Amino acid sequence: MSQKQYWKGLEELQNTAAHQEVVDNEFKEPLPGISDSLLDATTPRRDFLKFLGFSTVAATLAASCEMPVRKAIPYAIKPEDIVPGVPNYYASTFVDGGDYCAIVIKTRDGRPIKVEGNTLSSITKGSTSARVQASVLNLYDKARLRQPMMDGKEATFDAIDRGLQSALASNTKPVYLISSTIISPTSKEVINQFLAKYPNAKHIVYDAVSYSGMLLANEASYGKRALPSYHFDKAKTIVSLGADFLGTWLAPVEFSKQYSAGRKVTAKNLEMSKHYHVESMHTITGASADMRATCKPSEMGAVAVALYNAVNGTAPSLPSKKLNELVTKAAADLKKGNGMVVCGSNDVNIQTVVNAINSAINANGTTINWAVTSNYKAGIDSDIVAATEAMAKGEVGAAMILGVNPAYEIGKKFADALKNVPVRVSFADRMDETAQLCNYVVPDHNYLESWGDAEPKTGYYSLMQPGIAPLFKTRAYQDSLLAWSGSTTTYGDMWKNYWTTKLGGQSNFDKALQDGIVEPAGEMPMGGGTFAGNIANATAAIAAMKPTSGMEVVVYQKVSIGHGGAWSNNPWLQEMPDPITKATWDNYACVSPKKAKELGEELTGITEVVTKKRVIKLEANGQTLMLPIVVVPGMHNDVVAVALGYGRDAQIGRAGASGTDKLKGDFGGKNAYPLVGYNGQTFTYNAAAKIEKTDATYEVGITQTHHSYEGRPIIHEFTLEEFSKDPNALLKERGEEIAKYSVVPWGEHEAHGEKKEELATQEVEEGFRKEGTLYPNYEHMGIHWGMSIDLTACTGCGACVVGCMAENNISVVGKTHVLKSQEMHWLRIDRYFSGMPDDPDTIQTVFQPMMCQHCDNAPCENVCPVSATNHSSEGLNQMAYNRCIGTKYCANNCPYKVRHFNWMDWNGADCFDDNQYEDGRRDDLNDDLTRMVLNPDVTVRSRGVMEKCSFCVQRLQDAKLTAKKEGRPVKDGEAKTACQQACASDCIVFGNVNDPESEISKIRKDNKERVFYVLEQIHTLPNVNYLSKIRNTDEIWAGNEEKDGLYKAHI
Amino acid sequence: MHLKYESIVREPLVDGDKTYANVTEDIVRPIEQKPGRMWYVGFIFSLILLGFGVFSVVWEVYWGIGVWGINRTVGWGWDITNFVWWIGIGHAGTLISAILLLFRQGWRTGVNRAAEAMTIFAVMCAGQFPIFHMGRVWDGFWVLPLPNTRGPLWPNFNSALLWDVFAISTYFTVSLLFWYSGLIPDFATIRDRAKTKFRKRMYGLASFGWTGTAKNWQRMEALALVLAGLSTPLVLSVHTIVSFDFATSVIPGWHTTIFPPYFVAGAIFSGFAMVQTLLILSRRILNLEDYITIGHLEAMNKVIVLTGSIVGTAYLTELFMSWYSGVLYEQEAFKWRILGPYWWSYWAMMTCNVVSPQLFWFKKLRRNVPFTFIMSIVVNIGMWFERFVIIVTSLYRDYLPGSWTYYSPTWPEIGFYVGTFGLFFTCYFLFAKYFPVVAVHEIKFILKTSGEGQKKRMDSIEQKSTEEFLHEQMEHAHH
Repeated sequence: MSQKQYWKGLEELQNTAAHQEVVDNEFKEPLPGISDSLLDATTPRRDFLKFLGFSTVAATLAASCEMPVRKAIPYAIKPEDIVPGVPNYYASTFVDGGDYCAIVIKTRDGRPIKVEGNTLSSITKGSTSARVQASVLNLYDKARLRQPMMDGKEATFDAIDRGLQSALASNTKPVYLISSTIISPTSKEVINQFLAKYPNAKHIVYDAVSYSGMLLANEASYGKRALPSYHFDKAKTIVSLGADFLGTWLAPVEFSKQYSAGRKVTAKNLEMSKHYHVESMHTITGASADMRATCKPSEMGAVAVALYNAVNGTAPSLPSKKLNELVTKAAADLKKGNGMVVCGSNDVNIQTVVNAINSAINANGTTINWAVTSNYKAGIDSDIVAATEAMAKGEVGAAMILGVNPAYEIGKKFADALKNVPVRVSFADRMDETAQLCNYVVPDHNYLESWGDAEPKTGYYSLMQPGIAPLFKTRAYQDSLLAWSGSTTTYGDMWKNYWTTKLGGQSNFDKALQDGIVEPAGEMPMGGGTFAGNIANATAAIAAMKPTSGMEVVVYQKVSIGHGGAWSNNPWLQEMPDPITKATWDNYACVSPKKAKELGEELTGITEVVTKKRVIKLEANGQTLMLPIVVVPGMHNDVVAVALGYGRDAQIGRAGASGTDKLKGDFGGKNAYPLVGYNGQTFTYNAAAKIEKTDATYEVGITQTHHSYEGRPIIHEFTLEEFSKDPNALLKERGEEIAKYSVVPWGEHEAHGEKKEELATQEVEEGFRKEGTLYPNYEHMGIHWGMSIDLTACTGCGACVVGCMAENNISVVGKTHVLKSQEMHWLRIDRYFSGMPDDPDTIQTVFQPMMCQHCDNAPCENVCPVSATNHSSEGLNQMAYNRCIGTKYCANNCPYKVRHFNWMDWNGADCFDDNQYEDGRRDDLNDDLTRMVLNPDVTVRSRGVMEKCSFCVQRLQDAKLTAKKEGRPVKDGEAKTACQQACASDCIVFGNVNDPESEISKIRKDNKERVFYVLEQIHTLPNVNYLSKIRNTDEIWAGNEEKDGLYKAHI
Repeated sequence: MHLKYESIVREPLVDGDKTYANVTEDIVRPIEQKPGRMWYVGFIFSLILLGFGVFSVVWEVYWGIGVWGINRTVGWGWDITNFVWWIGIGHAGTLISAILLLFRQGWRTGVNRAAEAMTIFAVMCAGQFPIFHMGRVWDGFWVLPLPNTRGPLWPNFNSALLWDVFAISTYFTVSLLFWYSGLIPDFATIRDRAKTKFRKRMYGLASFGWTGTAKNWQRMEALALVLAGLSTPLVLSVHTIVSFDFATSVIPGWHTTIFPPYFVAGAIFSGFAMVQTLLILSRRILNLEDYITIGHLEAMNKVIVLTGSIVGTAYLTELFMSWYSGVLYEQEAFKWRILGPYWWSYWAMMTCNVVSPQLFWFKKLRRNVPFTFIMSIVVNIGMWFERFVIIVTSLYRDYLPGSWTYYSPTWPEIGFYVGTFGLFFTCYFLFAKYFPVVAVHEIKFILKTSGEGQKKRMDSIEQKSTEEFLHEQMEHAHH
């Protein structure tokens, strides 16, 4: 190797003397700043250390002072597909156990903020429910586990995998995988791989609220342990025996859509299904029914048998006249064809009778489809009971719990049994009642973080893709199971592989992923079934069931909270008023007005405002519960109903937790699962009960105190017959109110005045708008937004209420403030009962969604001293939050009482420090994590300002801007309000009324016989119209002094 | 213009045989003395109430209006009830000083000073409520039509609340001027009697260099008349405009044209009752029975029975009109007032305001001091309920039964009200200590005609024959 010489300059190369001097004397000039005295000082080093120490301490002190933490993500390198401020949408699938909904996730800057229905799905058709709408909040639930746990301590997945695999390897006893119904085909494959790895493993499926009775009855009747597809849209006669199919039974999202399709009445199209309903309590399905009767839950079998006999020609002899009447009429209608009977009972025999009826009326193949079965529920109760027993006996080596919470739902029996299992694994997303008993907790992703799929109906698939990367150290349960079965592939790969293969290529896969659904083309095939059940045995078994003489308890699911689960800790759902009781934050004992009177709590127009409810002692199924009573007209007089999902453990989250506070007493409701019994075959959700009044009281936050609409013309109800005979009745009634003000006696229109009609025609409406006031008329050019709400279609389910909360960042106020009527819902659903309070069979219930009516002559606008609320040229009543000083005059002067005031600093938007409202249960909403759900397009309101429905003005602006960029007018349907989109029953139509081709204009024209405006006569000129309630029944009670006892007594 | 003779049949307005010196001495002495124990007790008690009020308001401003019980349906509760109540009370003072001055009612001299002070303090108390009922009180100044940097952003001149701002601020200003201008000669009297330098200086400043010249008096009289002329329409306008807060709305029970006269009558009714309460206490504690006589109390009781009857008629008219209107919502609003969950407030109002004042038709009761005192309190309780009934029971059950609810006050709301009593009485105690509670110069003005001593000296004149009397009096008048 050659000795290469490198040099920096000629001086170095030549190595001159001058250079040598430079090299020797590095600092040839004296160093500035360092005087000799400093360097020569005795302790310069010490001084240096002093300076160092001082400055370090100073820096530490300065750094430890609280500085505002600014969290901004600079998009220096812009991620692909993300434009700040522009939302992205991903088709996905909502799954909770067997509850299914095809959805589209709206993400903003990479975080899901809203869930909408996927209109491409032929099953849910773009519908959602309150729970689907609220599910996005579960993603940001503060109580979610942030890492896996082993023996109560944080652990890594590696450690868990190692520990668990060795534990399972050394285990000789069977492994039980206990899960909810799983409708994902790939997950089922994963489970099969896992079961194959551990030969003595067993998969036990059970549902928190069971449908075993139906599954077993169907197996016996049709040879298939499956659920058929129901076609409520094709049914002319629907008979429901306690099935709350619009609220909680099986697939309410799917059924609501179908049901409403069969009830779109206009003066020209008078086709409407007839819905008979028998139930023990009062559900929203009962409220929508055309004819409703109540029975004790123990009599439901007898009613089914009576209906079966009636269909076969025998007159019924049931305990109440109304039941007999209903059964007779229903049977007659069912025989006409296109009928359908559904039943909410979990009893095999009752379901067998129902199958027999459906077979007898040829429902199979017309309204009930056996060609495409539903996979929503597959749990068999005896399996879990047997599994619990096996566990109790110590016969089980490992229990893995997936998607269910048996320690809460089955209770102490399961919790005790689980203690005898050496390896206990939970996939729960939080430390729920069961996970607390497990030695391995391997949290699964939230569904919005997951890849996956669903097969809600055989052959009908739906793909699930994440809207966000996992927030925490969680792992898809499929990955955990694959890892434990020794597989090296990940679930993601396996899933993609499965679908690419199944769909035949990447491009098909991409398309399917974008659409979110994979469905066979064309109409859903229809197929019948041959009934082969033993009807004689079933009727005999039903006859042998002794009806009880005293009170009975029904355990039911609330539309909001459902079976419990993560929903219990969802503040949106907790504060969503129950559709029937309008109560929030608690469960309670629903009793009829008559029973309440016996308990010394008579419901009157005066006592209705009392928030302190009497507590009763409820004994059933060997359990005792202390619950406040809530009076519900329409409850059977001998029935008390209690909702599931309450009385949760503190660790499932602050909103859902129950307990006793030193100052405030009990909170969070009581667990009603212990009231669920087991009849040796299936779980029973009703039992004989004993109730006893106590002296204690408990406050229940109820948002609506008055039950009757007092016969006021704010709702118009007609029977189908009345409507078909005189479709113009409503137009006449409106005309009487407004026609005389639509012309001025001295005006040019005197000629019109002569032939002044009593009908509220378009001309009269226009005249009323112009002449009903002293002020000049404002011409709305361009866009004029309007909304139409169909009272016939509205089921009161509350999806719109929660959808509105999610879209508009509506504050949750907590129970304390609900008690003071200070809740914030921009959209409320007024629920009115009519009928005799003592006779539940007479109760008719109607729902009226009520939000800002965007009056063109708004009483709120002219009273604001600072013009904080004013009118847009597009007919919107708008709020300038910044300008509002909070006199509340506008709220007082709003005849609809739809304005809501920010009573407290609900979300830390206030200029005062540390005055954010906290009550212990709603507070997690203000956590940084939970605030990720906020819609950045909508201002978070500060304390002391008024707010109200804006018609989702941010969406309207968005649609207008898109149209403007494309240089065209806004098309109808481009701007949709959140409530409209959430609605499963297509009640809400929104659009530009100045566009004659828009859907809203068409409704107001083509269905004008049903159009009315609330409080039209006070000349507020609302931009929201309602369509009258048409009930396919004999008589409307409301406002009839003799038949509407609630009106007469003003309750 | 001013007769020196007044018949002995007329009740004297000043009891006892007083000289001008006596009058000055009686009224000014309490100012120059150390206050009594009762004054200290009362004053400290008032300060405690005021402190609690301040605490309640701070609590409310810091946490938000949500600490009160008002809600989405009943947006105004105790706050505006108390506002209207205090404003109503504030009416009597100006009415007594202005309208009675124009009507030459000599008896007003004994009571006008205290009544005007009461007016000012009551308006101060009233003003707190609309200010602190605002959700964002720090932005409250936006109601003022000030040139601003927020763009061409002005208040909404259509809003009755804005009219309120103008009406009340004007009323307060004029009342204050009126009251103060009357005080000037009396301050000068105190100044002239003052024995300490400090007092002399302070009252000297307060009396604006009053020297008591004829020109001084002439200007003061002219000013009093001008201000009386200004205040008279204000007495009527303030409560009229306050009533517009309700009358210009669309809420059944509020939207009614009877409100202006009804509110004004009610305000005078409650104002006189409050004057009675204060004067009965003041005359006793400050030994002013000779100046604030039973005759004064009776005169005011007469006003009470008159206005009480007007108010009662208004209540019945309202009921009639609601039925006669044929409007369902109007009829039901009144039905729910009387029979709904707030039935007790309606009946409390009816009993206190309509039934009980009718007892004042009996002269014996009108002249009974303890009874008058009790009635004065009862009337003000009734008038408080009237405002509560109008505000809360109109709102709680209006158009849509789905929105109906109930309202109960919470402690900060009650504390706020209690606090305004603290403010009122703190001011009143300070006033009673430092200001002449009875208008010295005005008493002197009527002393020589309406004083008891003077009347006694009328005996000899009264016994004269008609001719003699005429001759003498005519001559007198000619001089």
